[in-house]
Amino acid sequence: MPAIAPASGASQLGQAENRDTLALRNTRLTPGDTIVVRVRRYDGADARYQSFKVPYRKYMRILDALNWIAENEATDLAFRWICGSKMCGSCALRMNGREVLACWEAVEPVMTIEPLRNLPVIRDLVVDRAPFEDKVAALEPWLERNAAYGGFPEPLSHKQMKNASKALDCIGCMCCYSACPVIGLGDLTNFAGPAPLVQLGQTALDPRNSPDKVRRSLALTGIFNCVSCYKCEEACPAAIPIVTQVIEPLKAKAAELVPAMAGHARSLRDIVQSRGFVDPGALVLRVKGLSALANLPRILRLLIRGKINPLKTFLFVRTAASAPARRLLNKKAAAP
Amino acid sequence: MKFAYYPGCSARSTCAELNVATHRVAEKLGLELLQLESATCTGARELRAIDPAGFYALNIRILALAERESMPLMTVCNTCTLNLLDAHAAFVSDADLAGAVNGRLAEEGLSYSGRTRISHFLWVLHEDIGMTRLREMVVNPLTGLSVAAFYGCHITRPPARYGFVDSRNNIALERLAESLGCRPIEYSGRTECCGFHTAAHDEKVAIKLTGQHILSAKTGGAQAMITPCPLCHTVLDGFQREIEKDLKQDLDMPVLHLPQLVGLALGLTPEELNIDRHMVPAGAVTNFVANTNRGLT
Repeated sequence: MPAIAPASGASQLGQAENRDTLALRNTRLTPGDTIVVRVRRYDGADARYQSFKVPYRKYMRILDALNWIAENEATDLAFRWICGSKMCGSCALRMNGREVLACWEAVEPVMTIEPLRNLPVIRDLVVDRAPFEDKVAALEPWLERNAAYGGFPEPLSHKQMKNASKALDCIGCMCCYSACPVIGLGDLTNFAGPAPLVQLGQTALDPRNSPDKVRRSLALTGIFNCVSCYKCEEACPAAIPIVTQVIEPLKAKAAELVPAMAGHARSLRDIVQSRGFVDPGALVLRVKGLSALANLPRILRLLIRGKINPLKTFLFVRTAASAPARRLLNKKAAAP
Repeated sequence: MKFAYYPGCSARSTCAELNVATHRVAEKLGLELLQLESATCTGARELRAIDPAGFYALNIRILALAERESMPLMTVCNTCTLNLLDAHAAFVSDADLAGAVNGRLAEEGLSYSGRTRISHFLWVLHEDIGMTRLREMVVNPLTGLSVAAFYGCHITRPPARYGFVDSRNNIALERLAESLGCRPIEYSGRTECCGFHTAAHDEKVAIKLTGQHILSAKTGGAQAMITPCPLCHTVLDGFQREIEKDLKQDLDMPVLHLPQLVGLALGLTPEELNIDRHMVPAGAVTNFVANTNRGLT
């Protein structure tokens, strides 16, 4: 039995071809080369980009380049950093459109440096973390014990803490919050966003937490507005599997503790269980009820192009996939 | 070359044209597809969150069906591909899970041992056909057709798993488009999200997100967008009218499924590839192909 999933050669296309491997990145500049750093400046009123020429030195990080600029060219450049070693999470910014930690990312020959997105900018590269902190505080990310503390050591297994312990790797850098496309849409949804959910996951995924407490928190998260794009995972410098080990387990908790939040997910499950497949018409009708029929011109257009098939939706025809789905999604049969 | 073929729900309903095109193009390419008729839905994004045991059972059953045929499994949907890859990875790394699922599959005489190779059609084109051979098969090069490659999420993320490269490095779709004669454009939406997975209960996120991507493709000079995922297609094409209303501007951006673009270059007609079944008419593309055939471009 192979130990890992089948890696696909085609899914690996690109990195070497674009000369974007770690080894190549570390060797494409030599000490004495000049790198061009374009920084977004903002003084509270106007934004502009300012370019700097910075002499490269070996193993130079973005933070080193910013410090060089602050010491030699722009003493008023505002940027945050504390530990300089991937622990404090305060130096996150965007380099050439990607969220990175300034203390951890190697410089590139030509870089555009911008503050994180989705948070108000105070000055230059410094963002206001208050909206994030307010959200986290509202989620009350702490533990209210189900039962009295029984003394050390507590009977907890690695398996029980598997997901919470991943969430505990968070350094609060906000890279994921900046990368999240749903947060980028502002008030369009009530989605809490990846970073606050990771903070919540640290305790909500801990088996010692009271279900009442977790229910109250989850009800505020808008978690089913997550589009599952994995942008947060791509941005996370702490390599937390945010979607699979934080957001999905929290969704499972929400489905159990606040069933009204998961109506759509349950509808999909029920349809797959009865039909074997998703019939899009049946799903939309079930999730939206009669309001699904409100946009008649659209329904007509869908009908004309053969995109929906009311006959299939209403006269459900049994297929070869129906019986196995009914059997395998039967909760009673699945119980050990 | 033989493949067990898993079209998924979308290619059997709203994007039935994708299934038709895949079968036609596979025939042209010399791929023999055995469609797994009793395969169920992989559970989209919902099942894996609210019913992991059911999710693993359905997905591993699909892998077992392919293994029984001793064939690699070919998909045409990003989300199905990732679900199957994730289920396989969990199966081979968790003996308890593997035992439990196989116990349930035994009721219908099925069993999985972890041998099925999972491949999306895009990867089959690169790995099993190869760009050199594909270029030799092109009879109607789409020379100069500007296309915007839209990868979607689940064929490139989560990062580092299954060999997925960082989003900014994806080139598989662009390389393929070039092999067919097209000119892939640079634009900001390439590896962004279409928002499909919240669209069944609320379309507004999909409409807002995808509007930016189509607009960026249009500004970049694309004559068409291509996507390897029917879920992305559903938003890019099926919601485009609503997106235009939201943006208060016309987009008229034809969106082709990956096999449809390949099929055109291999000499299949737009009708054979069901390109007339899209919500946004693909006249710009079909006229281009007709003119190429007549030597007008």
